[in-house]
Amino acid sequence: MLQKIYDWIDERIDLQPIWRDIADHEVPEHVNPAHHFSAFVYCFGGLTFFVVVIQILSGMFLTMYYVPDIENAWRSVYYLQTEVAHAQIVRGMHHWGASVVIVMLLLHTLRVFFQGAYKKPRELNWMVGVLLFFVMLGLGFTGYLLPWDNKAYFATQVGLEMAEQVPFIGEQLKVLLAGDASIVGAQTLTRFFAIHVFFLPAALFVLLAVHFILIRRQGISGPL
Amino acid sequence: MSEEKKQQVTRRQFLNYTLMGVGGFMAAGLLISPVRMAIDPILKSTDEGGLVNVGVSVDDITNEPQRIDWKVEQVDGWYESEVDRSAWVYKNENDEIVALSPTCTHLGCVVSWEGNESYPNQFFCPCHNGRFEKDGTNVPGTPPLEPLHTYELEVRDGMLFLGDAKPQGEA
Amino acid sequence: MQRGKGMKFVGDSRIKQGPTASRIPKDYSEYPGRTEPFWPNFLLTEWLAGAVFLIGFLILTLAHPSPLGGLADPTNAAFIPLPDWYFLFLYELLKYEFASGDYILLGMLGIPGLAFGALLLAPFLDNGPGRRPHQRPIAVGMMLLALVSVVWLTYSSAAQVDWEGRAEMDKPVPPSDVEVVVDTDHPGYAVYEANCMACHGAELEGTAAPALVGPDFDFTAEEIADISVNGIGTMPPNAFTGTDEELEQLVDFILTVNESIE
Repeated sequence: MLQKIYDWIDERIDLQPIWRDIADHEVPEHVNPAHHFSAFVYCFGGLTFFVVVIQILSGMFLTMYYVPDIENAWRSVYYLQTEVAHAQIVRGMHHWGASVVIVMLLLHTLRVFFQGAYKKPRELNWMVGVLLFFVMLGLGFTGYLLPWDNKAYFATQVGLEMAEQVPFIGEQLKVLLAGDASIVGAQTLTRFFAIHVFFLPAALFVLLAVHFILIRRQGISGPL
Repeated sequence: MSEEKKQQVTRRQFLNYTLMGVGGFMAAGLLISPVRMAIDPILKSTDEGGLVNVGVSVDDITNEPQRIDWKVEQVDGWYESEVDRSAWVYKNENDEIVALSPTCTHLGCVVSWEGNESYPNQFFCPCHNGRFEKDGTNVPGTPPLEPLHTYELEVRDGMLFLGDAKPQGEA
Repeated sequence: MQRGKGMKFVGDSRIKQGPTASRIPKDYSEYPGRTEPFWPNFLLTEWLAGAVFLIGFLILTLAHPSPLGGLADPTNAAFIPLPDWYFLFLYELLKYEFASGDYILLGMLGIPGLAFGALLLAPFLDNGPGRRPHQRPIAVGMMLLALVSVVWLTYSSAAQVDWEGRAEMDKPVPPSDVEVVVDTDHPGYAVYEANCMACHGAELEGTAAPALVGPDFDFTAEEIADISVNGIGTMPPNAFTGTDEELEQLVDFILTVNESIE
C-alpha cells in the first residue's frame, strides 16, 4: 500500500534525487563518534537543531493557551501552569530549551571556531551561522517579556532603554520596538509577541535552510 | 543477487527499523506532554454549573410561559465573567414547574412564546419559522428535529433555582 | 555547469580536487578512512545521542518547573531588573566605569559591537591557510580572551544576586478581584500605622516586607503577636513597641483585614 503511494508520487515528481540530496551520502570517519569518541563535538550542531525543533513544537502548543494582552497574558500563563495537565512540562520545555539552545549554539560555534572550519570555502556558512546566533538571542529577548511577570517587565524596560541609547536612530528604534514613546505596555507586548512568533522564526527558517543547504553542497570540513 | 548482498539488505533493514524505533521514541518523548496539554479540555470533567437562584418566586409562576433572565458566573479558563441566561417558565397541568431553554434546537436562534400571531400557544423561532408546542415538543414539519431543552430545576424556600439546560428525556 | 573559479567543494582536506569538477559533491567513499552511509547507519548513531539528550532534557524540565514571577507591576520600585542569564554579561559590562556614564556608547555598542562584528567577520579577519589553533594564535587568543571575559562577567553578575530572595519576593499570586478592606476606624489600625505600615504597606500589601494578606499569609493570632514582638526572618525583634492591649488590637486588625478578602 505504502509502496504503491510512493510509486504513484515518484512517477510524477521523481523522488529519487530529493531522497539522494537529503539522506543518501557517506559520512566520513572523523565526524563519527562510533570511530573516535572525541568526534562527539560534531554533535553540537545537530543537537542545537534538535532543541530548535523542541522550541518550535512546544511554542506552537503554548500558543493554544497564551494570549498576548497585558490583562490576560500573566493570567493565561498562570492558568496553564496550574490548571492544565502537562502544561507545566510544556512550558518547562520551552523555558529550559531557550537556555539549552544558547548553550548548544555556543558549543557548536566554539567547535567550528577552534577547528578553523569557517575558512575558505565556508565563510558564507559561518556568517549565516552567526546571524542565526543573533536571531536566537533576539528570540530569547522577545520571549522573556511574554509571561508579563515582574522580571519580564523590568528586564524589557532596561533592554528598551539600551535601544534608546543608539546614536541617531535610538529613539525611533525604541518606539518601533515598544510601540509607544514612553509606555512599556499593551502595544509592547503585542509587538514582542509578533516578533517572537512570526518575524524571528521566519528569519530563523530561512537562515536554517541556507545553513543546511550550504553544508550539503560543501560537505563537512575535513579533519585537522 | 548474491548471498552477501542479501545479508546487507537485512542489515540495512534492521538499522532502518531501529532508526524508526528511536525516532518514534524521540517523537513520543517530545509530543506526549504537548499533546496531553492540547487535549486537556476534552479530558477535563465539565464541572456542573450548580443551581442558581434566578430571583423568581414559585408563586409568581403561572400557567402562561413567562420569560425570566438571570446571570451566572462563568469561568472560561483564565477569564471569569457573568453571562446572561434566560428561560421560559410555567406550570404545566400537573402543577409541575417547567423551565425551557429558549435556544432553538435547529440552529440556535432564540424562540419566544407566541412569537408569531398565526401560531398561538406555541413557541416560535423567527429564523426559520420553527415551532414548538407548549411542552417544548417540536412541531413536525418545521425545521427543528428535537424538543427544546429543559433546565435542571429545584425549588428552595419558595424560590426557583435553575441549573444547566439538558435535552429532554435526559434531564 | 562549472563551479565558481578556483573554488574547491571538497569535504575532506586530505583530498586533492580532481581535474573534472563534477556538480555532484564527491562521494566520501573516495576518501581515505572508513565512511558510513548517512542513512541509516550514521543517523542512528546521531538519533541515539539525541534520545539520550532528550531524556536528560526532560528530566531537567520535570525536576525544575519553569519559574513564573508575580504579575508585572510597573509601580514596584523594589524590584531590581535582571535579564535572562545569557544577557547578564552585557548587563554587567555596563557597570564598569569605562562602559557607563560618558562612555555608555562604548559599553553598549562599542565593545559588544566590536566583539560580535569580529565574530561575524571572523573568516575574513583570520584568513590564513592554517586551520589548526596553533597556526592562528591571534584569532584563538582573542576568542579565548572574549570567552574568559564573558564567563567572568556572567559569573560576577550572577554571584551578587540573591536568587532565592528574588524568587521569594516575586511569587506568582493571582491578583484577586476582591478589594482588601482596611477599616481605618479599627482600634488596631492606629497601632498598625505606627508600628508596621512603613514596611508592610498601607493596605498590608507588603512593600519592603512581605504582604500580611493573601494566600501566603496564614498565621494564627498567637503567631502574629509573637512575630510582632520577636521578629521573623529578616524582620528584627521589637518592631512592635506598645502595650499588650495594643498588641491584641493589632492582631485583631490584621486578622480582620484577612477575613475581609475571604
